[in-house]
Amino acid sequence: MTSPFEPPDVTWSRVSPRLVTARLVPAAITLGIPLLAGAALAFTVSPWFWLLAGFPAAILALTAWVVPRQVHALGYAERDDDLLIRKGVLFRSLTVVPYGRMQYVDVEAGPLDRRLGLAKVQLHTASVGTDAQIPGLPPDEAARLRDRLASRGEARLAGL
Amino acid sequence: MTTPAAEDLAWRRVHPITPVVRGWTILAAALFVVGQQSIDDSARGGGIVELLRSDFWWIVPAAIVLVALVGFGYAAVAWRMTSYAVGEDTVHMRKGVLFRTQRHARLDRVQAVDIRQPLVARLFGLCELTLEVAGGSDSGIAIGFLRDGDARALRGELLARAAGLKAHRTGEPLPDVGARPPADAPLPAGADGPVDTAQAADHVPGVVHPGEPTADQGFAPELLERPGLLEAPEQSVLTVPPARLIVSLLRSGAAIFTFVFVVALVVLVITTGRIGIAFSVLPALLGGGGYLFNRFTGEFDFRVAISADGIRLRHGLLETRAQTIPPGRVQAVSLTQGLLWRGPDWWRVQVNVAGYGDKNETNAVLLPVGTREDALAVLSLVLPELGVDEPRALLDEGLEGDSSSAGRFVGSPRRARILDPVSWRRHGFSVTGRALLLRRGRLVRALDVVPHERTQSLAVTQGPWQRRLGLATFTVHSTPGPVSPAAPHLDAADAARLLDEQALRARSARAAAGPERWMETS
Repeated sequence: MTSPFEPPDVTWSRVSPRLVTARLVPAAITLGIPLLAGAALAFTVSPWFWLLAGFPAAILALTAWVVPRQVHALGYAERDDDLLIRKGVLFRSLTVVPYGRMQYVDVEAGPLDRRLGLAKVQLHTASVGTDAQIPGLPPDEAARLRDRLASRGEARLAGL
Repeated sequence: MTTPAAEDLAWRRVHPITPVVRGWTILAAALFVVGQQSIDDSARGGGIVELLRSDFWWIVPAAIVLVALVGFGYAAVAWRMTSYAVGEDTVHMRKGVLFRTQRHARLDRVQAVDIRQPLVARLFGLCELTLEVAGGSDSGIAIGFLRDGDARALRGELLARAAGLKAHRTGEPLPDVGARPPADAPLPAGADGPVDTAQAADHVPGVVHPGEPTADQGFAPELLERPGLLEAPEQSVLTVPPARLIVSLLRSGAAIFTFVFVVALVVLVITTGRIGIAFSVLPALLGGGGYLFNRFTGEFDFRVAISADGIRLRHGLLETRAQTIPPGRVQAVSLTQGLLWRGPDWWRVQVNVAGYGDKNETNAVLLPVGTREDALAVLSLVLPELGVDEPRALLDEGLEGDSSSAGRFVGSPRRARILDPVSWRRHGFSVTGRALLLRRGRLVRALDVVPHERTQSLAVTQGPWQRRLGLATFTVHSTPGPVSPAAPHLDAADAARLLDEQALRARSARAAAGPERWMETS
């Protein structure tokens, strides 16, 4: 069975593995607070509070298991006329964005991303349905990709 | 050709009655509130009525005069500060009293030009012209209100400039539509190199060469005085009779739902004897009724015409709207048929146009209801050439066919029935030389048509069940609007091949697509 997510003669570029950290740290913080609160209450008030602690713990464990796989599944490939973006483990998707359809490119980096040396490149077409973002790029690679996409977009711009 | 500096532009003002037309709702609301207050207060023996009887009665008329003066003063200033200008290939708009905004729109980026006439504006013979450009909601330029004739002349001027006609059309009307390139058709061959003046003049009678002294001086004032002169001549394609619109609305899901709701309500009220139930569900009923009423008034007297400047739509009962969608601006088309429209074989045609967005559905309708012939005629305005032998047979297959009979559509495999037991037979796609056809829906049939050069981006998605069954969903991303083309649950290999080939086809179609300025030959 051929997979639609493995087109022939495409070499995929992978994103930085540091993206795993960048995604796990916020999840650990948001889930860690109720976990610790539940554990503290379980020790001091009643062992029933282990239920409160167990739920975020389970989600955290699941996240810790899924995120590395998600990051590993992320990939992009620059072809001559379009950009391919692949993502997802359970729900997979492959998006093809022609350079000529690109309206603008965003490069974003939050405080944690900057500390880890990561940036997100997002492409926008005239369609809101286009979900074309590449998170977890090293800043140099993000800047190179942005400039390259912008120059290619201009060269192939043809209205809408 | 350079854009003239802002100082060189001839700034024009909108009609002085504009504040009245825009502000009447506020005025009505204010009067309503004051009226209600005074009635309430007079019942309790106080308020305005009491004040009028006292020695200070003059406060009331004085307050009214003051409010009126301030209101009209502000409106007058706002009107004075609002002006617009049409440049060589841009439109400029200045407005705002405290917070000034100035907006420039490039005419070659225009997606649609609409003239809207709300009920109150109609009393004064005024309309508002909206120039839609692709840039999300609230991206267009609304120039209003203008006198009827002025608005039409301005539309003609904008479209002529957007089409790339460097000089004005002379007063002589064009002989017929056929003399100019048909809408959305590939432009004549041999159009490479610099524009041949003689050839251009042959194609478009009434165009003066830019080198001549009359050219590039803007449009002569007398042309603006006489409406319709600048406009490209149009050919009527079809009209929707009011009776058919009413019947089609009665056969729509919303009407059936409302009817069943009313019947159930009446039964409930009679059996329980409690009238209070009726009031508690009134909002839901008003919602259904309001939707039908809006559909009826918005799509009343729907007329479709074609001109060299694109598709012309006119419709509306209370608020009338005249839309012009230039060639190549329709991003996707869908033909849909509800269950109860199947008997008379009626179809509804909707489009995605970049400037319209999905905020209001009424302006994205190309045909509210029509027979199959009507719907296909309207489709052919958008896409005259399907690029396939026997286009009619293919379209019929797309409209009502399914995978139980062999055809030119590639459908979902049989194993997709677990995921979509109802309509898996209808899912499918077909590729022609000019467009991608996607059919779906068994109860509500739909056929989406996306011209290859209008594809924004493409995607293939696959969920866990689909992966187990070897299926994948193919999606075409189009600009915001009522059409969201997709082919669910295709065979994974078909989806992969379609994604790859469609990316290629879209690329080559874009390279061969006509220019943004549809009358330009280069």
